Amino acid sequence: MKTIATIKSGGTASWAIRLVTAAVVVYLMFWIPTSASNGMIDSCITALTLMAAAMSLNLLLGYTGLISIGHSAFFGIGAYTTGILVSRYGWSPFQTLAVAFVIAFVVGALVSLPALRIKGVYLALVTLALGLVFPQLVKAQKLEWLTGGARGLDKTGFRFTKDNPTYEIFGWNPWGSLRGENVKPFHYWIAMIIVIGVYLVCRGVVKSRAGRSMIAIRDNETAAAVMGVNLAITKALVFGLSAALCALPGSLSAIRTGNVTPDSTNITVQGAITFLIVMVVGGAGSLWGPIIGAGLFVFITELTGDWSDPDQIPGIIRPLFSWSNTPPGSGIFAILLIVLMFVAPFGIVGMWRRLVARFVTVTPRPAGTGTIESVVSAPAEA
Amino acid sequence: MSILHARQLSAGYGPVTVLHDIELVVEEGEIVVILGANGAGKTTTMRAVSGTIPRQGSVELNGHDITKLSPDAIVRQGVAQVPQGRGTFPELSVHDNLRAGAITRHDGSAAVAADMERWYGQFPRLAERKDQRAGSLSGGEQQMLAIARALMSRPKLLLCDEPSLGLAPLITQELFAVIERLNKEEGLSVLLVEQNANLAMHMASRVYLLETGRIVAEGSAEELSADDTIRKAYLGF
Ligand SMILES: Nc1ncnc2c1ncn2[C@@H]1O[C@H](COP(=O)(O)OP(=O)(O)O)[C@@H](O)[C@H]1O
Ligand SMILES: [Mg+2]
Repeated sequence: MKTIATIKSGGTASWAIRLVTAAVVVYLMFWIPTSASNGMIDSCITALTLMAAAMSLNLLLGYTGLISIGHSAFFGIGAYTTGILVSRYGWSPFQTLAVAFVIAFVVGALVSLPALRIKGVYLALVTLALGLVFPQLVKAQKLEWLTGGARGLDKTGFRFTKDNPTYEIFGWNPWGSLRGENVKPFHYWIAMIIVIGVYLVCRGVVKSRAGRSMIAIRDNETAAAVMGVNLAITKALVFGLSAALCALPGSLSAIRTGNVTPDSTNITVQGAITFLIVMVVGGAGSLWGPIIGAGLFVFITELTGDWSDPDQIPGIIRPLFSWSNTPPGSGIFAILLIVLMFVAPFGIVGMWRRLVARFVTVTPRPAGTGTIESVVSAPAEA
Repeated sequence: MSILHARQLSAGYGPVTVLHDIELVVEEGEIVVILGANGAGKTTTMRAVSGTIPRQGSVELNGHDITKLSPDAIVRQGVAQVPQGRGTFPELSVHDNLRAGAITRHDGSAAVAADMERWYGQFPRLAERKDQRAGSLSGGEQQMLAIARALMSRPKLLLCDEPSLGLAPLITQELFAVIERLNKEEGLSVLLVEQNANLAMHMASRVYLLETGRIVAEGSAEELSADDTIRKAYLGF
C-alpha cells in the first residue's frame, strides 16, 4: 500500500515528531497549574489519578493477559494506608506512599496465588470478590478503631500553615501556595509525579526481560513455559507490582481530598470497572492507551456533568440525552466502549496506529511491544 | 550415558491417560524420530518430557532425574522445546523473540548477542527480518524462528514437535537440512516428532513408532523399512 510519507524509525523526522510531542506535553504540564481554572486543575488531578490506576491494570491485563475486576481494592489499600498513617499516627503523607506500595504489593502477590491455577472468567470472579469485599472489610465494626468504619477517616492530607515556604522562582510559582490559599497546583504536581513514576516503571518493565516474559505468557503460555519462563513467579510478581502501582493513586486521593470513605467511587467495584474500561478504550497493551483513555473519560464526564438538567445540554443533542436525570457521562463512555469494540478492538491507540499507517510508512515496520490482539483472540495453540 | 532416558513414562490430561509406559532413549548426538498417526500421542510425549503436563515414571537427563522439575527448570537443565504450532510471539519482533529465548540465561548480554549472531548466520532469512513482527513471517520462517529461539537457551537436547506442519514439502526439506546441519556441526541431540515418515526417516539415527500411546516398534530407519508389515501398516510406502 502506498502512503503519503515515509518515516525512517530513528531518523531525523521521527526524532522531530518526538521532540514536538514532548514539547507540547511539557508545555501543557506547566500551563495547567499556572493558568487553568481551579475547576480544570481539579479535573486534571482526577484524570491523573485514573491514569495511574489504569496504567497499573494495563501491566496485568494488557501485557500479561491476566484480568482483574477488583483493582479498586488496591486503590483502597493505598487510600487507607495513607489515611490511617496520616490521621492516626501523624506521618507525613509522602512517607506513606512507600508503605502503601509495599502493603499492596504483598496483598497483590498473595491474591495472585489463585491466578496461578485459574484462568479467564474464574480469575475475573476471584478478583471481583476481592473488590466487593474490601469496602465491607473497612466498614467492619471490629476495625472501626483503625479505619473509622462507615464514616471513614478525615485529616488525611497535608496541613497547610501560614509558616510554609512558597518556593517561588523569580515571582513565578507553578506549585501554588502551600500556605493554604491555593493548594490545587501542589496536589496536581503530586499527581503528576505519581503518573510519571508509574509510567516510567511500566515502560521499564515492559521493555525488559521481565516484560518479554509477560508478553510471552500473554501470547502463548505454553510456549512461554517451554522457553523457561517461570509462570508462577512471573505472574505473582506482576500481580504484586500492578497492585502496588494502583495503591499510589489511592494514596494520592487520600492526600488530595483530606479524607477517606469506604463509599468513594474508586474504592468500590465501580472504580475497578472504570479502570478496566478506561484502559480498554484507550488501548490495552500500549503504554499510552490508559493515559488517553483516562483523559477522555474525565473529559466526557466533566463535559456532561450538568446534563442532568436538560437545559444545559447543547441544542442539537438535547433530545438524545434529556431523558436522563443523572449525568450521562459514564453512559456515553460505555456506548463508546461498545462501538470501539466493533471498529477498533485495540482501543484508541490501536485505531490511531492504523490511521497513521494509512498515511505514513514507518520503516522498518516497528514491532513494538505488542498490542492486546492475542488477549482478544485466543492464541492458536495446538 | 544417554542424554535422555525416559522409563515407564505415562501421561495424559485430567482423568484420561494418553501415554502408556513408554521407554524412550536419545543418545548424545543422535536425531531420534517419533513417528505416529494423528492422535497417536506424539505431542503428549513431548509435553511429558518437557514437563508441561503431569507425568508418571521417570525422565533422566544425562543420568540426572528431572521428573520432578518444573518446565522452566527443565529448560535450565538443557532441554529446549519447539512446541507444535511453533508458538512464536507474533507481536514481538524476530529479534525480541530470540531474546525471549534467552530468558533462562544469566551469562550476560554479550554472550546472548553473540549467540544471536550465530543463529542469524545459520538462518540468514531471519537476519534479514530481525526488526519485523514475528507474526508477519511466513510459516517456514516462523518455524525457523521457533527453532532458533529454542536454541537461544543453549540446549543439549532439542525437542521438535512436527515442524513440517503446514509447510510446503520444499520448505520442509530446507528445514530438515538445517536440523541435520545443527546436529552435525553443533553436536545438537534432537528428538523430533513427525507424522510423515517419508520426510523424516532418512535423517533419523533411530525411529520409534507410536500407536495409541504405546511404542509398537523401534529401530534404525533401515531396519523399520526392511520390515514389510511395519512398512505397509505404518510407514505407508
Ligand atoms: N489438551 C488436551 N486435553 C485433552 N486431551 C488431549 C489434549 N491434547 C491431546 N489430547 C488427546 O490426546 C491424544 C493424543 O494427542 P496428541 O498427543 O496431540 O497426538 P499427536 O501429537 O500424535 O497427533 C488424542 O486423543 C487427543 O485427543
Ligand atoms: Mg501433535
